[in-house]
Amino acid sequence: MSGRLKLAASFSIFFLAGSGIACAQQQVIGAPPEALNMKLVGTSDLQARSAYQPTIHHQGDRWIAYIGHHGGSDDIPAPVNPQTGKAEPNGTSIVDVTDPSQPRYLRHLPGQEGKYEAGGAQMVRICDGKVLPKGDRNAVYMLRTFGGAAHEIWNVADPANPVLITRIAGVKDTHKNWWECDTGIAFLVSGAPDWRTRRMTQIYDLSDPAHPQKIRDFGLPGQEPGSTGAVPTELHGPISTGPSGNRVYFGYGTNKGGFLQIVDREKLLNGPREPTADNLRSPEIARLAMSAFNGAHTTFPMPGMPIAEFARDKDGKTRDIVMIVDEAILNECNEPRQMVWFADITVENRPMMISSYTVPEASGSFCERGGRFGAHSSNESMAPVYYKKMAFIAFFNAGVRALDIRDPYHPTEVGYFIPAITAATDKRCVKIDGKDRCRVAIQTNNVETDERGYIYIVDRANTGLHILELTGPARAVAGIQ
Amino acid sequence: MRRWPVIASVMVALGALSGAAAYQQAGPRQPERNGEWQEIAWPFPRDGWPAGKAFRCGAAACGGEVELYVRPKMGFCNCDRGVADDDEVDRVADLDLLSEHFAPLAPGDLVRVADMPGRIRAYDLKMSDGLRHIAVGVAVSRRCDLLVAVAHGRGDAPEMRRAALDFLARSEMTRWVTAAMEGR
Repeated sequence: MSGRLKLAASFSIFFLAGSGIACAQQQVIGAPPEALNMKLVGTSDLQARSAYQPTIHHQGDRWIAYIGHHGGSDDIPAPVNPQTGKAEPNGTSIVDVTDPSQPRYLRHLPGQEGKYEAGGAQMVRICDGKVLPKGDRNAVYMLRTFGGAAHEIWNVADPANPVLITRIAGVKDTHKNWWECDTGIAFLVSGAPDWRTRRMTQIYDLSDPAHPQKIRDFGLPGQEPGSTGAVPTELHGPISTGPSGNRVYFGYGTNKGGFLQIVDREKLLNGPREPTADNLRSPEIARLAMSAFNGAHTTFPMPGMPIAEFARDKDGKTRDIVMIVDEAILNECNEPRQMVWFADITVENRPMMISSYTVPEASGSFCERGGRFGAHSSNESMAPVYYKKMAFIAFFNAGVRALDIRDPYHPTEVGYFIPAITAATDKRCVKIDGKDRCRVAIQTNNVETDERGYIYIVDRANTGLHILELTGPARAVAGIQ
Repeated sequence: MRRWPVIASVMVALGALSGAAAYQQAGPRQPERNGEWQEIAWPFPRDGWPAGKAFRCGAAACGGEVELYVRPKMGFCNCDRGVADDDEVDRVADLDLLSEHFAPLAPGDLVRVADMPGRIRAYDLKMSDGLRHIAVGVAVSRRCDLLVAVAHGRGDAPEMRRAALDFLARSEMTRWVTAAMEGR
């Protein structure tokens, strides 16, 4: 063979090997997790239920993880709870993670019947009674959604034996609520029956959880009852900075036409309540329109971040930043990339995107692996251990990604963890020539952190909970010894 | 030594052929006549969903000139309930491509297109030039995916609705819809 033919043969082998590598990226049961600067500490299978929001609460001398679930799947609409021996619609898993290497599954609290987003109890927030202004000091309150039908408050002081306190029903959908524990104000993502959108905000005073007091309904002009014309995209979820920050950051959209809406909390709570277009417009400070290609699942505020690069500038040394996380919803890259954006909102009425982050697809052939690839959510804990230093992003089949965000103008990935699949991991399908072609891959859906620095990731495809910790240089970024 | 130029020539030729084929696939298509309906270019700027197909029907066949735009919207969150109410049609049926200002004329009705269930609703549309148009919005779904269509013109709503549904029910349109919903 001549030298050139050898070269051609080498190229052929390279391309064949390359395609082989792509195939080799498919996850297989028994293979180890993929990781960089993150280590597995413990797991719970969560009874093979599709998981959404984890919330970790320091409760007395225990640490309890409350994990919301989507509805069941076509194959298994209501998995069997081994503790009761009964098939139960997915609801809320309550897990003692005091020893994160040995999580103890305490209780499954069933949710609404229904599959996927039509059932379950996907959202959960926790407030101590002693922190709420009018709460029972001995109670610990869990606010959860009940499918799309209601919001519920339970007393979980004994987390193995929750007691229902109250229920707010009569809505056509629910989603990612926010609850201020120090005031009791709750921003409930609901679908009020007469509104023109599936998801908007119902604001309640839940300072006395046994007696919810409605404050007002809120949304974008055009969504309110009786309006006509184009309907703005629906709400995904708000995050409030409470009375001290006096701002609520609303994320609208999922994977399309998103908005970050910055709202004056005081005007929102105390302004005129009638849902007219003018009254809805009144508390809005600014709106940052995203590309039609992207939506806003999570809008995580980080006010007053010192920026090292600007340290010697006479003005603008610190910046108010909001991290916006899109949600990928289609399998195998059948949509524009959903990713993470950082907006500088220091000048509130002129918010500006300053940077972005995505997992490089080629680093794991993620479009080939099956299921969704792209961002979904971030941790929402504002505990000092990670706040304004590191962010953790659930990235579906690319697992969780640890970002160094100390310079939000240049976010940098410093670690990742992609759990191994198990026999419980559910398939994800796409249509090829009219037929389903299915693959099994991890689908890291949501992530949260606790004050100790543990990272909790949960899987949408039924693989359960993985508790992680940082290692090596990633640990140094957070300043953890 | 002599084989290398031959291999290179063959590769260049193959590349040129595939390029020509790709150009033919991607290039602007000639207008297709489908009875009185004629395919026209998608007239809207890029938005969150890829462009669909656009058609125009003359006054003689449709009781006034009508334009119809139809496209799939893959990835729709109401996987189980589908297009459950008229508000859903207001939100998704691409009326906002035509005008921000529209008002329903009446409650909508159930409809099936390409064997997919959904709803159809008629609207009064205020165009940017101040003219009033009538629009008929259609939204049907299969699992987590939508097919939407909107027809508009200056004719009357029942006639426009009949013409749009008749056209969407044609076998060639059903074939296209089925393929589009399967990502082909």
